[in-house]
Amino acid sequence: MKKLVSLFLALTIIVSCGAALAAEDGKITIWTWDPNFNIAAMKVAKEMYNAEHPDVEIVIEEVLSEDIETRVITAASAGDISNLPDIMLIQDNSAQKFILNYPSVYADITGKYDFDGFAEGKLAYSIVDGKNYGVPFDAGTVIAAYRTDYLEAAGYTIADVTDITWERFIEIGKDVKAKTGKPLLTAQAGSVDTICMMLQSCGASMFNEDGSVNFTNNEVCKAALEIYKTMALEGVLVEVNTWDEYCGTFSNGTAGSAINGCWILGTVMGVPDQAGKWALTNMPKMTGFETATNYSNNGGSSWVFTNGTDIDLALDFMKAYRNVDFYNTILPTTSAIGTWAGAKEGSNYTAGNEYFNGDAIFAKIVEFTAQVPANQTGAFYYDARDALGTALTNYINGGDLDTELANAEDTVNFAMGF
Amino acid sequence: MREGALSKKVSRFCMYAFLIVASFISVFPLYWAFISACNNTQQILGGRMIPSTHLMENLTNLFAQQDVWRAMKNSFATTLLQVVLSLAVSSIAGYGFEIYHDKYKDRVMSILMLAMMVPFVAVLVPLFQMFSKAGLLNSWVGFFLPSLATPFLIMYFRNSARTFPKDTIEAARIDGLNEFQIFIKMFIPMMKPTYASAATITFMNAWNAYLWPKVIMQTPDATTMPMLVSNLMGGYVIDYGVVMAGVTLCSLPTVIIFFILQKSFTNGVAGAVK
Repeated sequence: MKKLVSLFLALTIIVSCGAALAAEDGKITIWTWDPNFNIAAMKVAKEMYNAEHPDVEIVIEEVLSEDIETRVITAASAGDISNLPDIMLIQDNSAQKFILNYPSVYADITGKYDFDGFAEGKLAYSIVDGKNYGVPFDAGTVIAAYRTDYLEAAGYTIADVTDITWERFIEIGKDVKAKTGKPLLTAQAGSVDTICMMLQSCGASMFNEDGSVNFTNNEVCKAALEIYKTMALEGVLVEVNTWDEYCGTFSNGTAGSAINGCWILGTVMGVPDQAGKWALTNMPKMTGFETATNYSNNGGSSWVFTNGTDIDLALDFMKAYRNVDFYNTILPTTSAIGTWAGAKEGSNYTAGNEYFNGDAIFAKIVEFTAQVPANQTGAFYYDARDALGTALTNYINGGDLDTELANAEDTVNFAMGF
Repeated sequence: MREGALSKKVSRFCMYAFLIVASFISVFPLYWAFISACNNTQQILGGRMIPSTHLMENLTNLFAQQDVWRAMKNSFATTLLQVVLSLAVSSIAGYGFEIYHDKYKDRVMSILMLAMMVPFVAVLVPLFQMFSKAGLLNSWVGFFLPSLATPFLIMYFRNSARTFPKDTIEAARIDGLNEFQIFIKMFIPMMKPTYASAATITFMNAWNAYLWPKVIMQTPDATTMPMLVSNLMGGYVIDYGVVMAGVTLCSLPTVIIFFILQKSFTNGVAGAVK
């Protein structure tokens, strides 16, 4: 036993001696996730900046979104943010929540960065009390990618599903279902992604301007839930249980379309056998609302900056995010679509995409981005989403719409402390 | 007589049927993880339950995307050190609690047990604050300190020490051994199964540790295997083949350690239950 203990000790001392810790000072440190997307994009920005400023050390560290949030909460609660990096990526839907709850962490960059050309709807995610806290990165612009072979089987083309309403979408969906047996839309059960996309397409939100939750007097929300239920009952929309199954509905040919943030293209285009069978257009719009559009957003993220760090240096580095060459370089390797309008001038944006029969889908998405209405996310965005998800499930299962929305509103108010 | 034999057979059949189902439920996730490591994303999402030929491709992509060797090295170093230190500290504590007499020891033990009921998330911020003020962020001391002595291990060793014959201690004292020698030369050799099962439990906990390492160690140099696997799940497009290759690699050491110590582990647990 003594020999075993000695062996263990010797082994661990030898191995642990090699694991040294990195020092952090006099440089730009960046926390972000996804080596194939955000990190790859930041590496391009780093190369471009270092070409002109070789003396500046830029360190990109891989940290998951949830882990960044955990570290921010822990550091802010403990009152020591010295270990946070200069630049962090934040999910757009979480941005207002974190900026409002941990104001000591995030730097106000109003007037310090040129936001001209960034889509209003995208900028709004990181604006709190009229102040800018974030530089927008990738678009979560909603696209509607359709299986053209399914549409053709029902006698439709991509033009027939462009600039349409949800009512027309349901009609076409019924025909596609009758001819092919496939649902035109799929969704993850309990998720309100589709509802939130509908809301934002009208510039509506789950919250009032003062930040209070608004379900019971929210006509857009009621209409969105009614459309969703109709689609589910008619078989135009099929719900699956998990996100993995949702992704599987594209690869196994179950879904007739993918209506989601443009980042879903990575999944859609991950099936080489289906090349040439897809076409891309805008999402259906809601009827009866003056502000309704065919454009919305779901997901995406922005770069935020830690108070007390060298903001000027960090923002100078972030000028890459206003550079056509930057967006043009990252597009083929990462598929990250920028939200800065100038990006669409890049040759990779204007080039046709083989998977989509030569359509210049990326330039199209940047054009969609510019038309996305702004909406309010607030500090209790995810609480509201969860409550609305429960209301949606109960409503589909026969619950009364007004009662379910009232319950959802009560749930969020409870979370808010009212 | 015949009826008795029949009912015995039926009950045995039911027992085995239940055990087969329970074993299947326990083993299936591991089987699925390994099978999925041999398939690509499309096959996994399609529900393929037999292995394909993508194992090497997934492993190559995994090693290309992440520094697996560094994570393995960090995981082994931290886990082995934690196992050795935790066992040393907790076994001495458990032994002391049982063998030596003090009127307050049961109260102290109760406080320790109470600490076991508090979820780690609840003490995360105060711990971080303490370690931050002590200048222990990004340090291995900060990494190990909270898990060095756990109430569970102390309780486990204390319970095991109850089966340690007191006469042996008396005899050893008469033979001239001091207290530390009794612990090293008498207690440890007799409690090998307890140490083996405690080592297995600590190894599993240390190997799978995620939250505290992620908060206290904020540099990529300190990435461990669970952190590496979770990093694979962070993107818009998830390569499930690569994730499953990572999960399989991450699970292997725990499985191997369990098989090596299986017999002692069973004896240790059975002994603790007695």
